[in-house]
Amino acid sequence: MGYVLRTNNLSKRYGNQAVVNDLNMNIRSGDIYGFLGQNGAGKTTTLRMILGLIKPTAGEIELFGESLSGGRARAMERIGAIIEYPGFYLNLSAVENLEVHRRLMGMGNKEIMEEVLAMVGLLDARNQKVKNYSLGMKQRLGIARALLHHPELLVLDEPTNGLDPSGIKEIRQLFRDLARQRGITFIISSHLLSEVEQLATRVGIIHRGWLLEEIDYDTLQRKTRNYLEVMVDDDKKAAYVLEQKLGVSDYRIAGPGIVHLYDYLEQSDKVNLTLISHGVGVKQILLSGDSLEDYFLRLTGGESHA
Amino acid sequence: MLNVIYAELLKLRHSKIRWLVLLGALPANLVTLGAFLPRVTPDGTSAAIDIQDMFYRQGMFLIMMGPAIFALITAYIFAREYQERTINQLFSYPVSRVNILMAKLAVVFLQIVMTTVLSCASVFIVVFLMLLNNKVDVHMIWTGLKTNALICILSFGTIPVAAAVSMVGKNVIPTAVLGVFTTIVTVIGEIGHGRQNIMFPWLTPFWPVRDLAQGIADNDGPNPFAVPALSILSITFLAGLLYSIVYYSKHDVHSGS
Repeated sequence: MGYVLRTNNLSKRYGNQAVVNDLNMNIRSGDIYGFLGQNGAGKTTTLRMILGLIKPTAGEIELFGESLSGGRARAMERIGAIIEYPGFYLNLSAVENLEVHRRLMGMGNKEIMEEVLAMVGLLDARNQKVKNYSLGMKQRLGIARALLHHPELLVLDEPTNGLDPSGIKEIRQLFRDLARQRGITFIISSHLLSEVEQLATRVGIIHRGWLLEEIDYDTLQRKTRNYLEVMVDDDKKAAYVLEQKLGVSDYRIAGPGIVHLYDYLEQSDKVNLTLISHGVGVKQILLSGDSLEDYFLRLTGGESHA
Repeated sequence: MLNVIYAELLKLRHSKIRWLVLLGALPANLVTLGAFLPRVTPDGTSAAIDIQDMFYRQGMFLIMMGPAIFALITAYIFAREYQERTINQLFSYPVSRVNILMAKLAVVFLQIVMTTVLSCASVFIVVFLMLLNNKVDVHMIWTGLKTNALICILSFGTIPVAAAVSMVGKNVIPTAVLGVFTTIVTVIGEIGHGRQNIMFPWLTPFWPVRDLAQGIADNDGPNPFAVPALSILSITFLAGLLYSIVYYSKHDVHSGS
């Protein structure tokens, strides 16, 4: 699978203050990339550099296999974006705002405007001036604008800001459908773990300008799921009993005398009884594990607003 | 490029720009109508309506209002992108920042032309009525039109400075202050009627208007300060444009900017 976006040691400094440090981001085609970090971690600065709004102090950005410095215009034709806040010309209606976008993107097809407005549920309000829109409506219009030119990559900075819970659910579903049906790649930045958890297929965790981890969501889930920590006198014998007598295959020996068991989470008594009845000494059984939040906290050294 | 200019024009739909244009044009029209006041020649006969006088009054007032009105129009076109936070989107298009700047300047020029044309409305009406009576001095109309064309071009000379102030200030206020300040200087300069006053770049458009007054006032030949004034205006234009190009194409767009 090809890479849509790669950064190589991307850095941004303001005087002595480093905002983004040697960031190496790898986003594959079709990914819904959750870019997770606290407020001020460097998410928006990174996204701004990707869009050419801020010039990096060092490093490179490669979009669609081409360096951003050499082929910015070509890359921007294939990207849709909302950065921080969807800004609009308030004196214009939704359709007129999209018309401005259509012109600046050099697009011919006018009909697409109504199609995207219908997609985000704004068709009935299309002739209303944007100054009368709520923040949620502006956010939807921002998404419509980002989709108008059939982008291959959508860069969305906190896209559910201002949306009510049902709106968040609808937009989330829209993103999933777009990823599935049109193969659009997403970068969605958020400081909300729940947001990333429900959408992302890949997660990048940024903290104080450093990309701490970039990981597939499935792997992350494996790392953060709950397990029974069984402390025994003989881990090999315990593994044999678990496999033969309880039919367990989802376990791992985490250390000498420590078995992590990912099944039977609600039946620790049965595990205990089975092990003891087959001659394995059980010292302790604990329900343990990391939630995504614990995992995030551990990575960021205990600081969290996420 | 045409698409970019069209998009820039589209942004002004339903905006306050049309009121600014009218505000710039209206006083010139009102003052021009002063030419209809009854007048007598030194020999006691009634004086006819004087097109030259009308163009002169129109030009005078357009130049008085121009610095403030054109600065405000420029500020609105540039600073609103920062104030309405559309700059993030604007700079994410596959269009170079320099092209965006040029399109914006072109739109400002169009607004200057529109203000100038509207400020001539009452002169045009009078000319039309005179045409019906075959009493038109075609040479004077041509001179008036040339004067207004020069006003447009010379007024545009200081626009890059207003654009630079708008993009650095990211707000309408600094440019409005510049506009008010230059208008005050312009009014004082026009009242003084001195030939050298045109060397102040915002007063250079006064040069063709003052020349139009040949025959009305006691002027003594072509203005010797025209060449230095045009040189100063050209330097102002180029310096403002160069700074705007460098700033617009290089500056980082941050949160809230």
